[in-house]
Amino acid sequence: MDAIKSFYGNEIAQVVIGLFALLTILSIIVLSLVWIERKYLGRLQMRMGPMRVGPHGLLQPIADAIKLVSKEDIMPDWVDRWVYWLAPLVLFVPSFLIWVTIPSSPTIMLRDLELGLLYVIAFSVVSIVGLIMAGWGSANKYGVLGGLRSVAQLISYEIPIIVVALTIAMMAHSLNLLDIVDAQSTTPFILLQPFGLFIFFIAGLAEVGRTPFDIYFAESEIMGGPFIEYSGAHWAIFFLAEYINTFLLAALIALLFLGGWAGPFLPDVVWFFIKVYSLVILFFWFRGTFPRLRIDQLMGLAWKALVPLSFLNFIVTACVLFYGWPNWALSGLNLVLLVGVFAASYRVMNSKTRTPKLNLVPAREVRRA
Amino acid sequence: MLNSLKGLLITLKTTIRKPVTAQYPNQHMPVQDRYMGFPALTWDKDYEEPYCVGCMVCIRECPTQCMSATMMDNPLHKEGKSQRRKMVEDFEINLGRCILCGICVEVCNFDAIVMSHEHEISTYIRNGRRADLSELLKMGTRFQEEMHWLPPSKIAKTPGIAPSDSGHSGDNGDSPNQLSTSTTEEDPE
Repeated sequence: MDAIKSFYGNEIAQVVIGLFALLTILSIIVLSLVWIERKYLGRLQMRMGPMRVGPHGLLQPIADAIKLVSKEDIMPDWVDRWVYWLAPLVLFVPSFLIWVTIPSSPTIMLRDLELGLLYVIAFSVVSIVGLIMAGWGSANKYGVLGGLRSVAQLISYEIPIIVVALTIAMMAHSLNLLDIVDAQSTTPFILLQPFGLFIFFIAGLAEVGRTPFDIYFAESEIMGGPFIEYSGAHWAIFFLAEYINTFLLAALIALLFLGGWAGPFLPDVVWFFIKVYSLVILFFWFRGTFPRLRIDQLMGLAWKALVPLSFLNFIVTACVLFYGWPNWALSGLNLVLLVGVFAASYRVMNSKTRTPKLNLVPAREVRRA
Repeated sequence: MLNSLKGLLITLKTTIRKPVTAQYPNQHMPVQDRYMGFPALTWDKDYEEPYCVGCMVCIRECPTQCMSATMMDNPLHKEGKSQRRKMVEDFEINLGRCILCGICVEVCNFDAIVMSHEHEISTYIRNGRRADLSELLKMGTRFQEEMHWLPPSKIAKTPGIAPSDSGHSGDNGDSPNQLSTSTTEEDPE
């Protein structure tokens, strides 16, 4: 009996300490992401970014965080009280709990789950509920618009993500993230699945709502969408969840395609963070380059391009695995798909029929007729 | 999609470029030579006195009435050291009211007032930008040294020196020492 008690005592203590450490590390990572984003976007626009607080503005995110937490937390009269208060938690808790199973090296992770990839995807879908709760609970037109947009966008882009993740799981014969990384010990999946990475990257950007897919909180159209009525600490939680999700997407791409923590000379964790941070900088680069999509373009991209292409990729990979063709056949087929998509998009973009010529008739002709 | 790659390349190029930001309070951008800042009074180095004689022409012409001055007898004239019979005793410009129109400079008969390069007028106190004679002279002297300023009337009267666009000679092309009766080196101090 005592043994059981001490066992469970240890267990709970471990869980508490682990979650607390995870929260601390993630908060620090978010602060670093904010700084990197502002600095990088600044350099991209030939500005300097934050320079005043601390050397090269290093303490700027901390100052921002203090400002956010000490701000007044306003709740408008007309909001749906429970839904309004719960929404940040419903968004934040799943995106935080996903990190329980994300390994940053073979030993550094809280729980080694057999169905890790399923767990990650299942929990990332929950955040949709948080977003629509925030939009609906605010009882604000922009909030509702943003909430509905987020549902439309996230549900559509969930499909290609799941299918590509399934393809990877098929190749690794496992849903366990450690096993998936082990399966890439000879060749990382970026070489076998460049097309899969392409789809996963684009759909993932849409899934975490980074620009150019940030239509559900588009500041210039609907002024923050679901987050419009939030301020202070509650808004800070949304912000935290958003950046944690961005970092999660980068970590997933690193784990599923770039061979996780594999790399020469440096320790595992260092390699993992190098890969993840470079991917994050790639996201910020995209953010600084591309304008936001319209909602019909966004849905068109998901349903007309990414969903069928991800299924095509899935079938091709399944065939290769079923008939036991060599690896180079798989990467060759994938490259063919990638090049084909590029060529097709080039033809569509440059086709003469795409923009119908305006047939302007002079006014006097109209009068005569 | 190729266009997207082109866009990424462009932003990559701008990322590599040096930022154009000037960190303002630590780093001041230079103004153009012909920049018209606040009016200031010039200093005659030949006689070590201001050019201004306090004739009040500028004050009468000023559209915003931001200036005032008083005139006095020049003590140096009695001793025969200066040809100016009168000189300015006190001069005040309310720079917060000045609209930088430059009329005072145009009407001045003695080359005594210039539009200087001063343009930062923030102060911590109300009416902090009422510049008095000593401050105006300081501003003017700084401007003269910065621009190698010559009195426009002198430039106009002297053949052989092409009057520059801006009304005062440029850097060092033609030496200003040829004109003046006494050079700056002979001045006391």
